Amino acid sequence: MTADAHLIEHMMNPKNYGNMEDADASGMGKNPLNGEKVAIHLKVDKQDDPLITDISFQAIGCTTTIVSGSIVTSEARDIHFSRAEELVSATLGLLENQSPEDAACTEMVALALKAALDTYNEKQKDPDFSMFSYHITTDCTPKEEEKEEEK
Amino acid sequence: MKQLFKEVHEAWLATQFTGFMSQTESRQELYEFSNILFKHLTWLENDFIKNNISYSYDIPQVPIKVTHISHMINNIIIRIESIKAQLSACKDEHITFRMASDLDYIKEVLIKLPEEEVEKCFLAEKTYPNVELTEEARDALTIFLFEESYKEYELIMVYNYSKANSNDAFLNRIYQILIDESFFHLRSFGQMMSEMGILGVPRSLMEEIYKFDNLEQFLKDGIQEEIGAKEECKRLAAAVSDSSEHFAAFFTFINNQESYHIALMEEALEYINNKQ
Repeated sequence: MTADAHLIEHMMNPKNYGNMEDADASGMGKNPLNGEKVAIHLKVDKQDDPLITDISFQAIGCTTTIVSGSIVTSEARDIHFSRAEELVSATLGLLENQSPEDAACTEMVALALKAALDTYNEKQKDPDFSMFSYHITTDCTPKEEEKEEEK
Repeated sequence: MKQLFKEVHEAWLATQFTGFMSQTESRQELYEFSNILFKHLTWLENDFIKNNISYSYDIPQVPIKVTHISHMINNIIIRIESIKAQLSACKDEHITFRMASDLDYIKEVLIKLPEEEVEKCFLAEKTYPNVELTEEARDALTIFLFEESYKEYELIMVYNYSKANSNDAFLNRIYQILIDESFFHLRSFGQMMSEMGILGVPRSLMEEIYKFDNLEQFLKDGIQEEIGAKEECKRLAAAVSDSSEHFAAFFTFINNQESYHIALMEEALEYINNKQ
């Protein structure tokens, strides 16, 4: 990841970072290979197409995860679920243009948002449902390390 | 009491990071006061534990982006007033008397600290005084400082939580050394971030980071992370060696300190394995 001014702003002041004790739904994106994870919490206005009125995220991960979380949650604030689903798809569509490390972090954030949306929908049927947790499929092992391991 | 605990935590970080902004003798005062506020945090924490009350280190992001240091000083004074107003939430009068006395003194000194322009700490110029760095080296250093400043804050809190919740003298000696080491590193990295215009308070910790139930695994993971940090220090020392002997020496020094941390964690690991 390069450190241009826009990204540094997200590193210095991550947007929407933190817990949300009264969340209507939460979702988790995880990297099963290294234990990194992202949780996204939502406050939702109940409608036919529900509206995200508040959003926050927390992460055990690297700086790229924090930057991705800051950007994606900013984009997801005050939008309807149908638009949020498109945001998840669009974000996942960007992965192939990123380095494996950056792609893994971005995928983790996108899947956390997807998990939070799915959790909210599931809770409408089963209020006791806890949360969905999705695993990423991107292998974030840097190419050089893979070569080292092969030697 | 939980709100009081939160606000002391925030005031500690606000004071510590204001210390990073200062280029005058105020820096040392602010460092000392941040030490005192951290000590207050541990007193309140021990009171929670003594009374069997659950607690967390969850806090909102602490904003510090200002143009003049007086803005932060005023902010800290408001925080101190708020803490003082809530001291009765802690039922241990010995603790609250000492805290009130410390806070009164801190406030008296803060009011007299000289004004400083500190806008440069947040301009994201990524330059370091008297050091020429390539764009690649600057990016690598920037990301390293964000990663490691968070890591050091995390380690301070993890070892502090472990120490507070353990009665084992052997392990507590090791935890305390690691807390002290992480404070030193956080201050080194914070000062560099301030010089480079990229100063920011680390994000708050997810509970499962410090409320872990497998110390052995935590130590094993910690050793691996320290090995990773050593490698990053070596890479950074090599990247900046042509442009700055000082930086190269600094990262070699940090790299060697990581070896000490690994030795301490290995010592703790051996100890808990022998106990089992």
